[in-house]
Amino acid sequence: MSEKKKPHSISRRKFLKNLGSGVVGTTVAMHGLQKISKAQEAAEPPPHTDRSPMTITVNGKQITTLVQPQTSLADFLRGQLQLTGTKIVCNHGECGACTVLLNGEAVYSCHILALDAANKSVETIEGLLEAEELHPVQEAFLDHDGYQCGFCTPGQIMAAQAILLQNSKPTRAEIMSGMSGNLCRCGAYPKIIESVMAAAEK
Amino acid sequence: MTDRIDIISPVNLAQLDHILEKLRKPATYVAGATDIMVQKSRWEQAGTLIDLRTVQELVSTLEIGPEGILIGAALSFTDIIRYRIIQEKFPILVESCRQIGSVQIQNRATLGGNIANASPAGDTLPVLAVLNAELWIGPRLKDNFTKMSVDEIMTGPGKNCLQPNQYIAYIYLPFPEPTDPFWYFRKVGQRYSMAISKLSLAVLGWKHNNHIREIRICAGSVSPRIKRAVLTEKLLSNQELNSKVIEKAATQLMKEIKPITDIRSTHNYRKSTAGRLLQESLSTWARAGK
Repeated sequence: MSEKKKPHSISRRKFLKNLGSGVVGTTVAMHGLQKISKAQEAAEPPPHTDRSPMTITVNGKQITTLVQPQTSLADFLRGQLQLTGTKIVCNHGECGACTVLLNGEAVYSCHILALDAANKSVETIEGLLEAEELHPVQEAFLDHDGYQCGFCTPGQIMAAQAILLQNSKPTRAEIMSGMSGNLCRCGAYPKIIESVMAAAEK
Repeated sequence: MTDRIDIISPVNLAQLDHILEKLRKPATYVAGATDIMVQKSRWEQAGTLIDLRTVQELVSTLEIGPEGILIGAALSFTDIIRYRIIQEKFPILVESCRQIGSVQIQNRATLGGNIANASPAGDTLPVLAVLNAELWIGPRLKDNFTKMSVDEIMTGPGKNCLQPNQYIAYIYLPFPEPTDPFWYFRKVGQRYSMAISKLSLAVLGWKHNNHIREIRICAGSVSPRIKRAVLTEKLLSNQELNSKVIEKAATQLMKEIKPITDIRSTHNYRKSTAGRLLQESLSTWARAGK
């Protein structure tokens, strides 16, 4: 009776399935289990280790590092990796300035823990550059004045990139709904939409 | 207050159940964590988080049975929007998922989280109520899940009746009768995206010979719990849809709901708008029949 159907983008799904046998995935889980058994032996909670190990791919480069569990992905990218292109504005998962791609899909990096991105692939605005060459979406934003102050722009560009990865010829309406989670306080929306339309042409 | 947290990431249901059996400290379940992440004090105090999005069965199950589908509770709204079978059989659910937050939120937030969070403003809740969704609650006891409906699990704003060791594992959605169902979902908020709804209304119905054979109505954000508007449903069943009946139904719905005034809206606005939305939906349906 059970027939498993897959949506057309399955990269993250597939990934999570593979995680079951993945080395680090299991380690994290075992880590949890060990803590429980320790907690049972001693009535007191187990002593906290400061940081948890994590393997993460950022802009195509695999990194194994230690991270405090409560660190958000945005803080991790900016503080630990010095990738300050990702901006933190509301720090609340509402404005979109911190948008990055997690396994190809847009997420608010201030709104998820770095550990949530373990064993996954993160792409930030820095990852769009190829050496000194601007990415077509970046170029389109420049050519079409898709910003004023520019602070929301990295998030806007990553949200646009997420749309274009799914759909290389989005309509205006699709761009508007796909980028509705990104605020621009300067109100440069018409130019932002124009830029994404132009990027899709490239 | 603890200044750090422990995250437990079980990889499958068996491991999750095993962990819960042994767990002796309070823990908070998270899936997409889109709600709890904005309440930092809450999750930092929680100390221990159990991540349900690492549980393979919960993030990847979509089983199609003869009479309905079984969805893993940790499927994201994006997953739900993309599955063709859900688009075909449950367009009303897809529509409500599309109206949640933004793409970034839809990529993370989960159907199970929307339910467990038990917010009267949870956008999928009225829809799940009219779809007669059945919640399968873990852990399994003798291989069986505890079954519950949406209005049973929610006991008040932000409160559900789950025990510390219980979690939502699956959501079972029976296929609505395929013959000509009418559906309507509308959310009223400050703006289209990223708005917590002031009010929402879900309607699902079937006609027979120009009369309403069955109708299910549920409004969101109008009472502490999600409940179907049974009196309005009763009033409408076997009726022919005309302006008089529609008017009467709207008045009945306004009597039946108990909205409050809060930061997002007022009692009066919610009440009158709920009536107007029902009018709008029923008028659309009446016109569609002609």
